[in-house]
Amino acid sequence: MPPAEPVLRARDVVRRFGHRRVLAGVSFSLAPGEALLLVGPNGAGKTTLLRVLAGLLRAHGGAVERRGSVGLVAHHSMLYDALTARENLQFFARLHGADSTRRADELLDRMGLSAWADERVAAFSRGMTQRLAIARALLHEPAILLLDEPLTGLDDRSSEQVLDVLAELKRRGRALLIASHQLAELMSVVTAVGFLIQGTLRAVEPLGGRDAAQLAGRYRELTARG
Amino acid sequence: MPRNWLAATGNSPPVADALRQALAIAGKDLAIEWRTKTALVSSLAFAILVLAVLFFARDPTAVSALDIAPGALWVTFTFAAMIGLNRAFLLERENRAMDGILLAPVPPGAVFFGKLAANLVFVGTVELVSLPLFVLFYDVGLERGLLPLLGVTAMATLAFVAIGTLLSSMVVRTRFAELMLPLLLLPFLVPPVVGAVQVTARILAERPLSEVAGWLKLLAAFDIAFVTASTLLFRATLEE
Repeated sequence: MPPAEPVLRARDVVRRFGHRRVLAGVSFSLAPGEALLLVGPNGAGKTTLLRVLAGLLRAHGGAVERRGSVGLVAHHSMLYDALTARENLQFFARLHGADSTRRADELLDRMGLSAWADERVAAFSRGMTQRLAIARALLHEPAILLLDEPLTGLDDRSSEQVLDVLAELKRRGRALLIASHQLAELMSVVTAVGFLIQGTLRAVEPLGGRDAAQLAGRYRELTARG
Repeated sequence: MPRNWLAATGNSPPVADALRQALAIAGKDLAIEWRTKTALVSSLAFAILVLAVLFFARDPTAVSALDIAPGALWVTFTFAAMIGLNRAFLLERENRAMDGILLAPVPPGAVFFGKLAANLVFVGTVELVSLPLFVLFYDVGLERGLLPLLGVTAMATLAFVAIGTLLSSMVVRTRFAELMLPLLLLPFLVPPVVGAVQVTARILAERPLSEVAGWLKLLAAFDIAFVTASTLLFRATLEE
């Protein structure tokens, strides 16, 4: 079977903030069912890359091609604290043109939040907020899901729930791009690892049977080169 | 697990979509304001305070209530409105919720009109609550002048809320957003508010509106200019 056409392709993407080049020509592609883990030190440009890929930031050079819609789970939840979980999902579903009540209920159920559907988000724990943020990102059935540190601040149970959702999305042919420092936790989901260092994607490598320790060694090797 | 949790979205014409999205944004803003009431309570308290202070500050033997009434009314309306305008985009800064809106296929015009509609309802509510207090304090007869006064209030409010919505979006990412908005907005407020004061003075004096036809045309021109310019420039305020 021929390899699937990429749904996301970045070609020499450049982004500057003032005179500082945060992304210095990033190129890669992502096909349906692939899950690329993006690792790199703080300030390497991971969040900026995700925001450019999502269309929230303009690229100053290069091009981003998307075949299909994009969902983004970022550091910030993009939710309204004063609204309930259901109201938040219904609002964003309306913006996407989805059947708001049905979609909200389905995703609340899937994320294990049905019991808290009518609670205000301000009262949610970090794990619940993160699951709701993922539900928000899935409202429009995106072909590409971008996640920025999706497991940060989650306890083991919440992490497992998020990983379970990500694995299912991958099985269903969604393309996932996950920026995270948590290599070991995400090994069960990802299919490849990209090393983003100082705004440059130094390497994109399939897991190839390597474990988290070996990948961490490879990461240290690449970052040591500067 | 529900079978359709990755179900497809619907389709409808772009204009209908934009209208639905604008209404969703306005509804969301008003729902949050109704629930928290932070801006509404502040604006109403401010309006009552200004009306009372200006009334009691005058010397009744030297200045009649009717002389200061138009100015008092519009000082109250504009500054009370500014409290609400300040909050309009602070809502979106919380948890970077605006990113969530921009990730949806929402045209900037729909975001602007949604915000504008919510701000108009908010400011209109403050004005409607303040107006009876104004009548009470300043003892103005509005038997014949009520409808014209509501009309001129609507015209001036549309102008300054439109430009206020644009500027609120522009300053929300700055460190001193709540200070910047009044500084930027006040110069734009002067022409429509001066016009509104002039028309209000004639209405309260029970003079014919034909005396202020020029001001009314100017207010209409400001409505068209401010709404058009704000709609066109709004996109630029959303870009980082």
